[in-house]
Amino acid sequence: MRTEACAKTFGGRTVLSLPAIELAPGRICAVVGANGSGKSTFARLLAGVIPPDGGGAVLPPRAEVRYMPQKSYPFRLSTRANILLSGGGEERAEALMEALQIGRLARRRATGLSGGETAKMALARVLSRPCGLLILDEPTASMDMEAAILAEGLIETYCKETGCAVLLITHDLQQARRMAGDALFLYQGRLWEQGPAERVLFAPERPETRRFLEFYGGA
Amino acid sequence: MWTAFRKALALILSGDRELGNILLVTARMSLSSSLIALLIGVPIGLWLGSCRFRGRQALVVVNRTLMGMPPVVCGLLLYMLFSGVGPFGRLRLLFTVEIMILAQVLLITPLVAGSLETYVSGIAQPVRETAKGLGLGAGKTFLLLANECVYPIFSTYLLAFARAIAEVGAVSMVGGAIAWKTNVMTTAIMQYTNRGDFSLGIALGLILMAVSLLVNILVSLLQRRLSR
Ligand SMILES: Nc1ncnc2c1ncn2[C@@H]1O[C@H](COP(=O)(O)OP(=O)(O)OP(=O)(O)O)[C@@H](O)[C@H]1O
Ligand SMILES: [Mg+2]
Repeated sequence: MRTEACAKTFGGRTVLSLPAIELAPGRICAVVGANGSGKSTFARLLAGVIPPDGGGAVLPPRAEVRYMPQKSYPFRLSTRANILLSGGGEERAEALMEALQIGRLARRRATGLSGGETAKMALARVLSRPCGLLILDEPTASMDMEAAILAEGLIETYCKETGCAVLLITHDLQQARRMAGDALFLYQGRLWEQGPAERVLFAPERPETRRFLEFYGGA
Repeated sequence: MWTAFRKALALILSGDRELGNILLVTARMSLSSSLIALLIGVPIGLWLGSCRFRGRQALVVVNRTLMGMPPVVCGLLLYMLFSGVGPFGRLRLLFTVEIMILAQVLLITPLVAGSLETYVSGIAQPVRETAKGLGLGAGKTFLLLANECVYPIFSTYLLAFARAIAEVGAVSMVGGAIAWKTNVMTTAIMQYTNRGDFSLGIALGLILMAVSLLVNILVSLLQRRLSR
């Protein structure tokens, strides 16, 4: 799956300007970078939530994309109904709720869930059906450690079973190292470093990437 | 003063026939107008709040202006259109309950649309983003958005009804406050007070306040559910 070169400008400020990027099917690609480096904007462009500068498509036509926003919206329905929205069927929904330990919340109004519970519901919702490209914007940011590990396992299984490409935006470097085969480092809206995770996340070439990793205890 | 008050209570309790007719006309008018305004205003509000298109902001401004239209101006407009020499004079609608309903629909619909537009534009972006991320189509997304608005629609309706029942400027101009026909609570209060007969006015005033209290209790209960 190839994403076309794209740019996004808000009120005259270009916040994102990327070259074409190749995303391998069946692999997880971590996207890391500082706050405001354009990660979520990239996700929104790919998901078709906002158009790139000059219009046009960033993804090939008919690419099946599923996207979990950084702030997922709990619809005013039960947790179960929220998960069923994506049309993956009862059985799949039950299995996902079980796996994320939110089975007991199935009948509760999703609008009353806690932050982490909402994130689990949103993850189950987006994983209900197979797709070609899965974009997750900090899916475990508000989950506790146990939940995050469970979520990681689910995402990896989903990736393997459906053979889809996964774009995982995360500030959890350990998580990126655990899960990702490839990695992108965004710096001030540009693609600063790209390649296998072992290199980008462990032994980066550019000083900005190294400086970024230093805050996590170094490369 | 006290005697007028006692007479008013006696009137309410005795089931005075003129009082009953006024209540009936009032109920018919304000229920119809608020319901019609809801049926027109809710789709407009949902549409204005959720769709992005050229001229949307202009329409919002127009709607806000209509929200501020003084009732007497609305009354004047309809009076001119429907009086004997006006373009719709042949319909003979002036001084009927129907034209009072029409006047109120014109006044209240912008309020309904405006209040819903404000709410919807606050949630449209995350709703659309999440729905799109799940591969849901435009129709389903719209239904989800409407489902988010159930409580706001309820409370908007209650406020619309409260406004309809308390409005006087437009309905007195186009309705004429004809006894047993188009006289509603507000116009009757004015009429009887002008004649120096306070008791019916007080009785009506008490009922109006009670209705308003009830509506506001319901609204605050709804808001509590909303902010939970
Ligand atoms: N709708 C918008 N209007 C104006 N500016 C925006 C908009 N969306 C994003 N930006 C700007 O674009 C830049 C990149 O934002 P983005 O949300 O992509 O960052 P991010 O990498 O996801 O950051 P974080 O790690 O905090 O989530 C930021 O400076 C932000 O202020
Ligand atoms: Mg972000």
